[in-house]
Amino acid sequence: MKNYLILFFSLVLLSSCEENNSNEINIYSKRHYQVDIKQYENFEKLTGIKVNVIKAGDDELLERLKNEGQNSPADLFVTVDAGKLQKGVEMGLFQKIQNETIDSNVSDDLKDINGYWIPITYRARLIVYSNERVKESELSTYEDLANEKWKGRLLVRSSSNAYNQALMSSLYANLGEEMVTQWSTKVVNNFARDPKGNDRDQVKAIAAGQGDIAIVNSYYIGLLLSSEKQAEVDAGNSVSVFFPNQADSERGAHINISGFAMTKNAPNKENAIKLLEYLTGEEAQNTYVNNSYEYPANPKVKPSEIVQSWGDFKRDKLDLNALGTFREKAIKVFDNTGWK
Amino acid sequence: MKTVKFQDKIALILFFLIFSPILFLLVKSFNQDTESLQYLFKNLLLDYSINTIYLVLITSFFSLVIGVIPAWYVSNYQFEGRRIVDLILYLPLAIPTYIMAFTYSELLSFTGPFKITYDFLQIEILGILLAFSLYPYIYSVSRISFSLFGSRYYDMAKNLGLNAYQTFLKVVLPLSRPAILSGLFLVVMEVLNEYGAVKYFGVNTYTIGIFRSWNSMNDSGAAIQLSSILLFIVAFLFFVEKYFNQNKRFSFSKNTQLASLIKPNNSVKFLIYLICLIPIILAFLIPVLFNFINIFSSYDDINFERLLNLTFNSFSVSLIASILILIVSTFFLYNEKISKSKVYYYINQFISLGYSIPGAVVALAVIISVTSLDNLDDNIKLLGSFSVYFLILVYAYIIRFMAVGKSPIKSSMEKYPDSYNNSAKNLGLSNFKIFQKIYFPINKYAFFTALTLVFVDIMKELPITLILRPFNFDTLATQTYEFAIEEMIPLSSIYSSVIIIICCILLIFLKMFLDKSNVFRN
Repeated sequence: MKNYLILFFSLVLLSSCEENNSNEINIYSKRHYQVDIKQYENFEKLTGIKVNVIKAGDDELLERLKNEGQNSPADLFVTVDAGKLQKGVEMGLFQKIQNETIDSNVSDDLKDINGYWIPITYRARLIVYSNERVKESELSTYEDLANEKWKGRLLVRSSSNAYNQALMSSLYANLGEEMVTQWSTKVVNNFARDPKGNDRDQVKAIAAGQGDIAIVNSYYIGLLLSSEKQAEVDAGNSVSVFFPNQADSERGAHINISGFAMTKNAPNKENAIKLLEYLTGEEAQNTYVNNSYEYPANPKVKPSEIVQSWGDFKRDKLDLNALGTFREKAIKVFDNTGWK
Repeated sequence: MKTVKFQDKIALILFFLIFSPILFLLVKSFNQDTESLQYLFKNLLLDYSINTIYLVLITSFFSLVIGVIPAWYVSNYQFEGRRIVDLILYLPLAIPTYIMAFTYSELLSFTGPFKITYDFLQIEILGILLAFSLYPYIYSVSRISFSLFGSRYYDMAKNLGLNAYQTFLKVVLPLSRPAILSGLFLVVMEVLNEYGAVKYFGVNTYTIGIFRSWNSMNDSGAAIQLSSILLFIVAFLFFVEKYFNQNKRFSFSKNTQLASLIKPNNSVKFLIYLICLIPIILAFLIPVLFNFINIFSSYDDINFERLLNLTFNSFSVSLIASILILIVSTFFLYNEKISKSKVYYYINQFISLGYSIPGAVVALAVIISVTSLDNLDDNIKLLGSFSVYFLILVYAYIIRFMAVGKSPIKSSMEKYPDSYNNSAKNLGLSNFKIFQKIYFPINKYAFFTALTLVFVDIMKELPITLILRPFNFDTLATQTYEFAIEEMIPLSSIYSSVIIIICCILLIFLKMFLDKSNVFRN
């Protein structure tokens, strides 16, 4: 018993021997990509500012921020969905960020019109199709996925997934409730199977012949093609990428951003600004695109070679905050139309 | 007037600490907007509840089959490799459910070795996979129960003209029912709270509903309400189980001679191997080999310094929390034993309730209660330092896993009559001395069992760790999960393998320790 107690207290002591560094930044992150670790290490080498991170789900982190209130140690919040950034803004957790360097680094149409969050990368939610069974000319828009010709051929993951919720929010914002409900009903009818698995699984299912087209995020194709497993590379090669809604009269493909917001009481505000300047700058943007196959927020930087090989595309110019404001309505469309 | 004893004061404080976040949750659920809840009730809850019940039934069924039957053969038959079979049958407990799910969906996917494309029986397959991870809860209690039968029972059954099969069904199973049910209860709890594997399989359960209302409908209030409902349902089940088992706890009279092991003929032997090897291969060897093989394919990417660091984190946080749980649960159970007060009995029931709430909701409850304390006064500044968050994390583990630690200690303490402490008291020993001299030595196997089970559970734990951890604090479980949800299973395998190895070593230690105690016949 006594030994246990001694062990316990020595462990507590050991764990509290953390240095108290004021030259630091504290980040709450939904992103948990390896490239982020690299970026923060590079930044620390450059500036001597230590970056501390807690990674968890975005809703959980927002809840933690809300409850911690003004005593929160967090300076920045980063997630992969403009909708969740908007949610945080609505909860009153963030402050506006004004900085010329950051402003000039980032493409205008990706910026938050209210000035709260800063995009660092973006991704498209696009269509992939079987090279064997589908001709590119058969594809056109998201709306066309409701067409009867796709019956039993369409693959997509569940509606619990944030990427699908963002897509549905954008369709809701663009088309309105009635049309989007009709669309969703028909799309569900076209499902090749009940939604399951993640984005990569949908591509593999095409390779396995379970369906012919799938809705997936762009970077997953990059990750499949660069996989160390030959079977995954083969799966990636069995499909081609299609950007929907590209015709002149169309609005463009649905995108979402990865972005940072600054907490209301950020204790290390200046350091946080420095980090955002760095991350939107060309060096860090190149690191992003070559490791995570996302698109850069900085227009001076080119996407990775694999991503470039898919060609340029037109982005939907919808105010990305709509991905948050329409979220609840979008969920109800999923529920009412039986999209599991 | 009687003065309040020192240990009662401590008990009150501890009880308040452990129960207040749960209480907070219950109170909060009553003053929430019910709009989302009504929406969920109207549209989804029936569907979600049916799925949940179905999943619970399937997992329970398969856990019982692969838990009880091998336990029967291992307990009663002599065959080559019996001890190693016995050992391995416990080990799937070391494999987190989410790793089991990811492993099999990868194996069964198109890019896996079997190139199977299955799109049917989603819930059924998920249920079986969960059973693979959870059946050891049932196996372990069945083993202990079956091992305690005296030969008298078998002789009597034989005299009544029952064959082995009938003896098993009509004598052994009814007598072991309380033990098996207590194992089953843990399995059901785990299935109710399962999130990662369930979400991956696209099966909408009640817990998915809780997260859907929180994450998608932007409503943590509805999540709190749904969790409270779950809490009441579980408390009710708990009560039902207690009620039905109340008079059915058998004490096995010590002077019956334990039945000796049966030497099976060759065809029975074949059957035994077949029955035992199915869970061993499917629930242990395949997932372990899959993870180990993946390590080699991603060997160049392994950062050993980080691996060491995360292993230390996982190990230290699990050890600290499990020791604290051991101390606190022993404290309450011992007090229940020595004071005749019913209050301790109820306290012990209440502090177990944390196990029935999904981990993420426990985390939410803890952060709400801790931060509201922090916000009481501007001068209190709890947040920010590593150690405070570390303690909050440990605190949440204690609330969540108290029940796991309590259960073996409770059943061990129940075995000994109250006359022990009466005679000790007559000798003038203090309560602490009685514990030190009597209860600690006679219950030491239970303490070690409790410590190991809690340690293994915390080592595998995910949602609480993700939400409440301090800055830069990654564990093996969080790292496994981060790679896995980014669909990079090979990279995650080194971390999941270390979890599996550490938990296996502990379980093997436990088993060897228990074998020495003669809990099992050998």
